[in-house]
Amino acid sequence: MTAVACELCPRRCVIPEGGAGDCRIRVNLGGKLRATTYGRPSAIHIDPMEKKPLFHFHPGTSVFSIATAGCNLHCLNCQNWQLSQRGGEEMEQIYRADPPEVVKAAKEQGCKSLAYTYSDPVVFYEYVYDTSAIARRAGLNNTYHTAGYINPKPLRRLCKLLDASNTDLKAFDDGFYRRVTGATLQPVLDALVTLREEGVWLEVTNLLIPTLNDDLAMIRRMATWMRDELGADTPLHLSRFQPQYRMRNLPPTPVEALDRARREALDAGLRYVYIGNVPGHEANSTYCPTDGTLLIRRVGFMVVENKLTADGRCPTCNQTIPGVWK
Amino acid sequence: MRDLHALKSLALTHPRVRHWHRREARFVGLVALTALVIALQLSEGLRMAGREGTGWRTVDTAAIQRGIDAGDLRDREADWYHPATPVERKQVVEGP
Repeated sequence: MTAVACELCPRRCVIPEGGAGDCRIRVNLGGKLRATTYGRPSAIHIDPMEKKPLFHFHPGTSVFSIATAGCNLHCLNCQNWQLSQRGGEEMEQIYRADPPEVVKAAKEQGCKSLAYTYSDPVVFYEYVYDTSAIARRAGLNNTYHTAGYINPKPLRRLCKLLDASNTDLKAFDDGFYRRVTGATLQPVLDALVTLREEGVWLEVTNLLIPTLNDDLAMIRRMATWMRDELGADTPLHLSRFQPQYRMRNLPPTPVEALDRARREALDAGLRYVYIGNVPGHEANSTYCPTDGTLLIRRVGFMVVENKLTADGRCPTCNQTIPGVWK
Repeated sequence: MRDLHALKSLALTHPRVRHWHRREARFVGLVALTALVIALQLSEGLRMAGREGTGWRTVDTAAIQRGIDAGDLRDREADWYHPATPVERKQVVEGP
């Protein structure tokens, strides 16, 4: 038996021949670890950048989004479980799209950016890396939506090719991570700091689940940590939970709870705190933190008004708004 | 003495203790069997839940090989791994 040890994520799976990693798609065949979904995505869509969500990165543009099966987390509330909690051999829909074909298709569709998303791009790392390299040479941006459960070395290598990342911080509580996601908190915090250090444009999403991670004291600790470690200008998306997959016993997050959490995060010093999954909410939009001017008005994933100056400043007070605007 | 008399009269007037009938034994057996099935289901669920996140999974390698042969999957060698050291090999938990 030739077992192999995967070094990609903090699970560090030791996989016997004929087995797969916890992610289901990195398989030991003949004593070598195989990336079985390389070039074989099961989801390809063109999305607005706001859907990632990335609100301070090329707003209003389209992003060519891909994902393969598999994930190294097992969130009880996963919204993409049909994709993430399956191996490649279990998928009904598989596209044959090697990295050059992905980049070519993105350009043909008029997309300025690629997104590695839906499941977790950590587990199809090689596909992301090779596609990102070609996309970078072709002048496209690489964006990443991840849970951030990855080891520092592979992440640092990938960061050289990434332009932006929305990384989930699912709770500021290791117990929550263990119970609800099967992962742990510290590697995610480390990944967030690494992304910031490597100069990748970073936004953070926190899905607020009633009774599990909506405690205001926890929100305060999370926001304070973000302010101190990532910077007060790091956008935070507080997202509304909808019951699904194995977590149907809890109600959707009340909008009032999201409002209270947003207030807490703003009070802790974060300057850009958004509310997600509540179409039409005023906190979908971007405001100047200095004078409160409405800068980018959004309805759902649509940018309906963008008042930022060409160089990304508030038109009223000339305050620079952090982001990658063009 | 009065208590003994009372007990005797109670024994005479109280209906006899019912003994188990066969159909009742069958019913209890059915309840016990149902409880056993539920317990087995729960323990299997807990065992599978416990396997998640413990390092590796059993997969249908024949199906994966068929997928690779058909071109639906790939056998691209992954980055970021090494042959397990003897210490690491000890961590491999045999699958079900």
